[in-house]
Amino acid sequence: MNSFNLKTFLTTNVEIDEQTIKEHIEKLKKIRIKKGNFLLRQGDICKHSFFVEEGLLKYYSIDEKGKQHILQFAPEGWFVVDRESMFFNQPSQYFIETLEDSVVTMMDEDVFAELSLQNKDFALFNNRLLHNHIRHLQNRINLLLSATAEERYLEFVKIYPDLLLRVPQTLVASYLGITPESLSRVRKDLATRRFQK
Amino acid sequence: MNIKKVASLIAPQAPHFVGDGFRVHNFIPHGNLIGMHRMDPFIMLDYNSAYEFAPSAVPKGVGVHPHRGFETVTIAYKGKVAHHDSSGGGGVINEGDVQWMTAASGVLHKEYHEEGFSKTGGLFQMVQLWVNLPAKDKMSAPKYQAITKEAIPQYTLENEAGSIAVIAGAYKSVKGAASTFTPIHIYNAKLHKGAAVDIDLPESYHTALLVIEGSIVVNGEQAVSTDHFALFENGGTTFTITASEDALVLILSGEPIAEPIVAHGPFVMNTQQEIMQAFNDFNQGKFGYLED
Repeated sequence: MNSFNLKTFLTTNVEIDEQTIKEHIEKLKKIRIKKGNFLLRQGDICKHSFFVEEGLLKYYSIDEKGKQHILQFAPEGWFVVDRESMFFNQPSQYFIETLEDSVVTMMDEDVFAELSLQNKDFALFNNRLLHNHIRHLQNRINLLLSATAEERYLEFVKIYPDLLLRVPQTLVASYLGITPESLSRVRKDLATRRFQK
Repeated sequence: MNIKKVASLIAPQAPHFVGDGFRVHNFIPHGNLIGMHRMDPFIMLDYNSAYEFAPSAVPKGVGVHPHRGFETVTIAYKGKVAHHDSSGGGGVINEGDVQWMTAASGVLHKEYHEEGFSKTGGLFQMVQLWVNLPAKDKMSAPKYQAITKEAIPQYTLENEAGSIAVIAGAYKSVKGAASTFTPIHIYNAKLHKGAAVDIDLPESYHTALLVIEGSIVVNGEQAVSTDHFALFENGGTTFTITASEDALVLILSGEPIAEPIVAHGPFVMNTQQEIMQAFNDFNQGKFGYLED
């Protein structure tokens, strides 16, 4: 919703000195990239973790029938990375594409490793981010396996409060694993109930 | 006479599309050039300068979107717009009409070129204004004022100089058609070539004009041509418009609400917390439902 700066994001969460910021964070490559461009394509090796300072990315796969499946949206303040590709050196199964004009900071594997070695606080924070990410994925798996469309939708708007106004409903439906018609029905049902109360 | 001077003359910036049906130049907030406070209570002005739309079987426009915390005012100069909203309301804004929608606590609406107009295509020219609401009225009930061209009172100038259509507020003895939450004057001044008219407005009111057709000179010194916007200083009470050729001029003037403004996309509130609430309410269906 706002512009997020990686330096601010780190310094507000971690005790990190100016020197370390200068050596590691300020040297990172920051790119401006227009809507509809790719940061990663299927078959590439993912070399970076992307931190979104402005704009919006989608992380998705395309199945044999050409259907898109969105694993994650990354608005301001989010990281997105294909871990299998970056940390296990596998060709990626995924795409990372900009949904809006974006400003993205690119972090390679070494940055995380060096910062973690140098700064215990960063190591702890990074660990916490990782656990949080795994928690998020666990919830997502559980919702996809067991939850109703409405429950999935309500969880989605909790995580991404402004995305309904930023992306087409077809993409939201793809993230939720439901049809656009089901998403419409869920929203209509919710509205009807709110108004009858 | 205490003259209200032009503070800056603003040329239309490169147009952008709102949806696929409105090709607009933004004048307020115009990035940081004007911002949302300088013309408070007018916090947004998009101007679709006269533009020829090709015929289209599928009406162009803007799909379902919410608003909360302010009013949208659509002034149709050329072309026709059909609109629908989540309270079941809807209608057509014809040439010369004004639609004054008080979004207040929240509506979903959509706006498209009217079907007939879309099929034939043609010249399209509109202004959309956002008028802020004071904190105490932001969560009042939504409502519409569909003001037809015929219902807008006119002040006829002497010597066939032209007329002032009073959309809101008052010009001399003529009272405007729209009811407003805070003191606002909105006029369409139609002037024949060579005609001059004095406009008296309170010193403290934020005031600007936009030349819709023709060209004018303000206070005998500042030329303003078609599609240009003149922002007035906050001082002085009177300015004079002289028409260099037949002209139509939109004049806006309002008492500042002077409250904090926190805006995010289609929501304009007083605090960040209220913006988050607006997103939550929208996500949870509290704005109602409208089919795309």
